[in-house]
Amino acid sequence: MNLNLIIIITTAVALVAYLVSKVNDKAGAAMTVVGSLFALIAVFLLRDSIGTEITLLYFNFNLTVTGWYFALVMLMAYSMTAFFNPFWMKKLIYPAGYNFLYLLSMAGTLGVFFAKDFITLFVFWETVVWSSAFIIQMGKSRQAAYVYYVISAIGSMATLFAIMFAYGTTGTFVINDAFGGLAAYPGRAIVIFVTFIAAGMAKIGIFPFHVWLPFAHGSAPHTFSPVLSGGLVKMGAFVALLSVTAFPAYKIFGGMASFRGIPLPIYFMMALGAISIVVGTLMAIKQEDAKKLLAYSSVANGGYILIGLLMLDQVGFAGGLMHIVNHAVASAAAFLSIAAVAYRTGTTKMSEMGGMIHRMPITYVVYLIAIISMAGIPPMGGFVSKWLIFQGLADKGLLFIAATAFFGSIGSFLYVFRPLSAVFLGQTFTRDLNKKEVGVFMLFPMVVLTLLSLLTGIFPNIFLRVVTEIQTSLGVLPVTLAENTIVTNNGFLDAFKVFIVFGFGFAIAFVLFIARRKSRRVELMDTYTSAEFIHTRELLHYSHSFYAPFERLYEKAPDTMKLYHKAAVKISEIGNFAEAIFFGIKPARTVLLVMGTVLIGIIAGGVLS
Amino acid sequence: MNAMNFIYAFLMLVFVFIFQTSLTGFNRKVTARLQKRYGARWYQQFLDIFKAMRKDSTTHGWVFDFGVIMALGGIMATVIFIPVAGFRAFPGTDNVFVISYLLAVGMLGMAMSAAGSGNPWASIGVGRALTNMLAYDIPLMIVIFTMIFAFDSASVGELAKMQQGMGILGWNAFRMPLGGIVAVIALMGMLGKKPFDSFIAPAEIASGPMVEYGGKHLGFMFILHEFMTFIEVSLIINLFFGGGATIWEYMLKYAVLYTFTNIVSGVMPRFKIDQAVKYFYRVPLAMAIIQGIVVIFTGLGVTIWF
Amino acid sequence: MVLDKKDTRNIWEKIGDYFSANSIWMKWYCTGCGAIEMPPTMTSRFDMERLGMGPMATPRQADVLLITGYLSTKTLRRVIYSYEQMNSPRYIVGFGSCTINGGIYYDSYATINQLDKYLPVDLYIAGCMPRPEAIMNGFAALIEMIKKGEANGWRHYQENYEWYKKNQLESLGEVIINDEFHE
Repeated sequence: MNLNLIIIITTAVALVAYLVSKVNDKAGAAMTVVGSLFALIAVFLLRDSIGTEITLLYFNFNLTVTGWYFALVMLMAYSMTAFFNPFWMKKLIYPAGYNFLYLLSMAGTLGVFFAKDFITLFVFWETVVWSSAFIIQMGKSRQAAYVYYVISAIGSMATLFAIMFAYGTTGTFVINDAFGGLAAYPGRAIVIFVTFIAAGMAKIGIFPFHVWLPFAHGSAPHTFSPVLSGGLVKMGAFVALLSVTAFPAYKIFGGMASFRGIPLPIYFMMALGAISIVVGTLMAIKQEDAKKLLAYSSVANGGYILIGLLMLDQVGFAGGLMHIVNHAVASAAAFLSIAAVAYRTGTTKMSEMGGMIHRMPITYVVYLIAIISMAGIPPMGGFVSKWLIFQGLADKGLLFIAATAFFGSIGSFLYVFRPLSAVFLGQTFTRDLNKKEVGVFMLFPMVVLTLLSLLTGIFPNIFLRVVTEIQTSLGVLPVTLAENTIVTNNGFLDAFKVFIVFGFGFAIAFVLFIARRKSRRVELMDTYTSAEFIHTRELLHYSHSFYAPFERLYEKAPDTMKLYHKAAVKISEIGNFAEAIFFGIKPARTVLLVMGTVLIGIIAGGVLS
Repeated sequence: MNAMNFIYAFLMLVFVFIFQTSLTGFNRKVTARLQKRYGARWYQQFLDIFKAMRKDSTTHGWVFDFGVIMALGGIMATVIFIPVAGFRAFPGTDNVFVISYLLAVGMLGMAMSAAGSGNPWASIGVGRALTNMLAYDIPLMIVIFTMIFAFDSASVGELAKMQQGMGILGWNAFRMPLGGIVAVIALMGMLGKKPFDSFIAPAEIASGPMVEYGGKHLGFMFILHEFMTFIEVSLIINLFFGGGATIWEYMLKYAVLYTFTNIVSGVMPRFKIDQAVKYFYRVPLAMAIIQGIVVIFTGLGVTIWF
Repeated sequence: MVLDKKDTRNIWEKIGDYFSANSIWMKWYCTGCGAIEMPPTMTSRFDMERLGMGPMATPRQADVLLITGYLSTKTLRRVIYSYEQMNSPRYIVGFGSCTINGGIYYDSYATINQLDKYLPVDLYIAGCMPRPEAIMNGFAALIEMIKKGEANGWRHYQENYEWYKKNQLESLGEVIINDEFHE
């Protein structure tokens, strides 16, 4: 099976799903499961045909190992989340449209990752943006879709400009050639680099563009948030990757001023990644909605990915690539578990629930493993990739970037613990006392993702081997791998050994625990209250403004969204002013004034020269 | 990785437990002397732990138990990775990032179990502990990062070895004096000594995360605390004070540094948690960054000064 | 309480009792005026840490519930709640004459006179108030009792739970609770 067939079949399945959903929406949703699983398996089997090129109508594809890697991550997020779709059909206004767009956007991402030329890239890119924008507006608020679309449009327009400018300079649309020929024009190259990477940054949610994530992730349908965070955000990472590899940024900017070996334009982008780590972490800490919190954590993790990819070296780059998988898996699992809780309780507000662990233990374990990976704690995958990024940073001595990376890493303990404590631990609310665990069909994808998180953490080399292939194909020195070990300049990591020793410690503690007498089980409400009698469960649950003393330290910090609002008001004021001048009471007088000014200017210019 | 490694690891755990618990007992005596008291017997800490293990206990559900086991398991695994005077139970696993992040498994387990008790004090305590961690860890990690850059190694054992054989001036605490000060202040934060002990404030939030523990759970928490202390002090000893060529040298340095933190703690009041954050982000963070800039951009401190 | 003086403990219980006796963690239930005697007992003049004793924050962690004064019916309910949260082996020390016979409040409508009708008291320290010397002596006696396995109040409470419950209910009555702030 080749790529053309996969794209055609998934699009066809999307259409069929649309028609089926008109009759029976659950059957239509089941089609999304089938379609996405088919695509996942089919793309996985494409491994043998890597390196070939193929043409579909006007679109040219190039099967690179990079594209294959990204496509698998993306399809994994799509196919696992698809299992949740049948349960959400009742809550959607247009179930048929949802199923159609779900598969269409998935087909679109395939085109993006395997694109050979810019036209293909752009067309498929826009397909994804449009179809996902329509899905987002099916959720809680329309404004979310506006914000998402505006930010995406800014990125897309910037990219279109970069593509056209590159075409104007080198005369070709083929990605590698168009960018490769820019070495002769370093001035233009900077403009193209900055505008091209803008679309990627808008999609990952790097600092000035990060505002769409909390809106879109927070209010998209619960079944689409995992795809957004686990999958679509990674499209931005792909563009960022293109902008340092296909666009040989290090070669072109090599002669420029640099900071510790990183040319300044690239360093500037890395600094933006660092800022988004800090902003994402600080904002995530103070969210009250679990999905918004996870959305801001995606901002922070996007920062890590961007920093890793932009380093384009042996170690940090591998870390960035691996973090794409780890974050996709962990983030999708976390969003899915929150969705499962929301399926039972009907809310994602953290202060409105608690103690769900006693009702939904498996969902809890899924969330726990997901956050351990997300926070970069061994023995889960997130640790391996963060470790690689840290090693890369230490190699180069990028002190300030590293400082923010540490901040984001420790800060993530704070924010990932909040939903754990507020949603799953603590007192169970009276309303939720008779709630049950979700069904097997919903547990399946969550468990698969959890096992994947463990696999990436215990045997990271399975994934890193693909990463080394990517590095080799891009002409970067691949990261050194021994049997179970990852070797870097500053030392090595044997993830399997770490896991074994952790298991050893756990076993000793377990034996010690069961050797002592069994504990007396008491009610959750039978807890130390300074001997006061409290009968309302909700009052004994601490979840609102969890880190209040810490939040107080930065409550006066400016809110980016407010700044944008202010800017919007200012721009419309300027517009009003211009309108008042040109379309005021006496337009003729204004025209005369303008013409007079221009005339004087021309004369003065002539005299002076 | 064979059976011998695991036997060594187990012996190391036993040694660490006995050593650190005795030292804690000794330090209770030191604190008492600061307050003009006789203080407890030197083996009092052992009696307390065994007494707690002996008692019955209450549990609030499986996560309450599981969190305790995960906490102690994670912390014991971390202890195994710590190089002590050149000895490593599992050679080649003493990467500084592995140690500092594996430590987080234990902390997460403890936080999970505490919050799983359903007591609001516990959640407040955990929130404070995590905030405290965010405060002290950033300056410390910056200094450690600087060190990894300077010496091209992230292995704690290697870094300790590089400082030996050059006398006292070879220690990183003297090569990078600002970094050394930051490390000791951060150690106070890590150990939860005053003035950074707001997360276990007994009279205010009823000992925070520990509020619902009794019996064997509490015994586990005490053992965990001993191990955690060992990890934290060892990290600083190895990275900044030259580790130890022999086990005796190592134990001596360790005892001196740990007693020093206790003496400082004995005469301090308590910061509110936001004050602690403000303090760490003003003084130690600035010192850490200055130290980092000096080392990375001038190379001063990589070689011995004079 | 124990009629038979013969020591029936096995070796593990003896060792356990040795630990229990030498590490006494207390939860102070500070009613009345007795609490003021505790700080001097704790600090440099008398230094109770010498005996391995110390205050703890919550009843879950504590071994000894120290009741330092008179108990009104309102506080008695809290004391019982605290005692039932403690883990065995647990001990109660009644402190001052109020816990023995009501002290100067013996004829008040709101106080209870005899604590051991409601909870198993292992040791009384008489006085109004007992000075730190008396407290230290009292605790030395408690340590001896625990070591010999004679401080069995918690077992007695388990065995005679109905009797205690009946007394508690008689004194406190049944309470119908409507919300958090009214009983």
